[in-house]
Amino acid sequence: MATTETNVDLTSTSAVGTSGLLISLPPLSQEAFDATLSNLALAFPGETVLVATPDAAPQSSSGSPLRLLPYTVTAVSTTPWVPTAADYLNSYKLAQENRATACVLLGAEAQSLHPESIRALAKSTVQCDLTVAHYDLGPREGLVTSAILYPVTRALFSTRPRFPLAIDIGLSIRMAERLATVAQRFTAAGQNDALLWPLNEAATANYTVAEVNIGSRTFAQPISADVNALLAQITASLFADIDAKAAFWQRARGTQPYQPVSFTTPVTEPPDIGPMLDAFRLAYTNLHDIWSLVLPPNSLLGLKKLSLMQPENFRMPDNLWARIVYDFTLAFRLRTINRGHLLGALTPLYLAWVASHLTLISSGTAPEKHIQDLAIAFEADKPYLVSRWRWPDRFNP
Amino acid sequence: MWQQVELALRQSAESVLVKLARFFPGLIALLLAVVVLTAIGAGLAALLRRSLTAARFDERLAHNVIAPISDWSPANSPTALIARVAFWGCFLLGCFIGISAFDAAYPGDSPISTIIIPYLTHSIGAVLLLIAGTVIARFLERSVLISAVNAKLQYARVLSLGVKWLVLVLTAAMVLDHLQIGGAVVELAFGILFGGIVLTLALAVGLGSRDIVSRSLERSASLDPMPGDPDYKSSIPPENLRHF
Repeated sequence: MATTETNVDLTSTSAVGTSGLLISLPPLSQEAFDATLSNLALAFPGETVLVATPDAAPQSSSGSPLRLLPYTVTAVSTTPWVPTAADYLNSYKLAQENRATACVLLGAEAQSLHPESIRALAKSTVQCDLTVAHYDLGPREGLVTSAILYPVTRALFSTRPRFPLAIDIGLSIRMAERLATVAQRFTAAGQNDALLWPLNEAATANYTVAEVNIGSRTFAQPISADVNALLAQITASLFADIDAKAAFWQRARGTQPYQPVSFTTPVTEPPDIGPMLDAFRLAYTNLHDIWSLVLPPNSLLGLKKLSLMQPENFRMPDNLWARIVYDFTLAFRLRTINRGHLLGALTPLYLAWVASHLTLISSGTAPEKHIQDLAIAFEADKPYLVSRWRWPDRFNP
Repeated sequence: MWQQVELALRQSAESVLVKLARFFPGLIALLLAVVVLTAIGAGLAALLRRSLTAARFDERLAHNVIAPISDWSPANSPTALIARVAFWGCFLLGCFIGISAFDAAYPGDSPISTIIIPYLTHSIGAVLLLIAGTVIARFLERSVLISAVNAKLQYARVLSLGVKWLVLVLTAAMVLDHLQIGGAVVELAFGILFGGIVLTLALAVGLGSRDIVSRSLERSASLDPMPGDPDYKSSIPPENLRHF
């Protein structure tokens, strides 16, 4: 099981030890590139740092301690908002060619990262196999991560980091190699945009994991605004990874030690959850037959109650959502119905969870507290998934 | 007169018995070929399943291939897929051998050889068409239903049922045509049905339901966009609600 270190000291000004560190940048505009280089120079004063940048990127001015490495990508990713298989493969090749011992991958909009954050990320990277960024997001941001990615990853792989799909990550060379090996299989099949799950890989390999608080940053948004397609893409990738690593997570026990989380309650205006509730109720009327192929009677009963709730009291119980996600994961594995249909049928349920979450936080509950409670519900229900994974025929909806 | 009747009956009985005597060996050969090849297929499938399981074929494939065969296999197991392919391959081989044996039992100019054997072949094709059509209809029904629900269309169920029955009607027409039942009547009925549907829609939009359709379109246009719609983000500020 991976071990996690958190709360890396951001205020330390001691040398990071960047001799073997490679920082990989995404494609950036001239302005963003200059800003990023300035931040890197502030993050590593007087230290020589290898900075890899796609060859289309502009060059820095002379005299900078940053050593730029323009390179030609061997695998091209068309998904700039999140690191993909192509990015991991390119980074590892660069690290290998330049004999780097660790590399930091910065995501899109890297110019919005503070120098202290970059420094903390680099410092942790040279100490741990995998360093994952922790972001300060608003209560209505990163909802897929909060609803599915974080609780599932934490429950199944016993990892603590809050953002399994963080876009700024640090990799030791062996972690980079492991991810590149996985990425190679995707790129060889022409799937350059496939998502990888570094936390799951690190947990499976028993590598050390750290989480670094980055604070707030600007995020690039997906080019397509179609929630259905994006949710299907991300959940399909996660479910497939869970399926591939079933032998590991069925044995994994326990959780990482509790980390203090700030439960501040931001003042939020009441959200407009009407469209989401309409979508859920319409789906309940029409997709009940499909859901009944996937979900057990208890969950269907819970959904029925949910469909009758008034908007102001709309609240999906955490254990109901955990069961739904687990049952969909299992149905994905068993191919109970076509996988495209399965993931499409998940969208209205996800919107119902979002509506419930927004209602709850508008009533004064701290968003992060709800997410942590949800993660605990997922952990508590893990035996259900393990049991049904091993003996799926014991119960057929 | 009674002697002639008796003679006619005797001749017809002899004729039927002769035909049965010719028919049964062919039928038994057909059944025997199917049963034997099915048994061989079951044995081969069991053998393959055991040997591939012992060789950990699924795990090796999962480690080496990224778009695995398991995508197409039942219960996510390539071993099960290979075993089933072997079984059904043997079964089909048995069918072909049996039909050939059945065919060989008759002289080339006999009615059974010239009519029933080709019809039997057509029947198998019709059954395959029926299965494929039913599967496609169910797939399209669910696809349309889920897409329509996610697009917040109130008439999602009607739309999906419409698509399902269109495909089923098309399949039925193809099957009947393949079986040469109904002849031109089926083609005519099918053409009238499809043409009627298209004409009805055209008239509904163009003439009779013009007001209803225009009101419906206006209502649709004024509805709040769904999270799945391209306009969704523009109606809700990005900093307000971000799924990713």
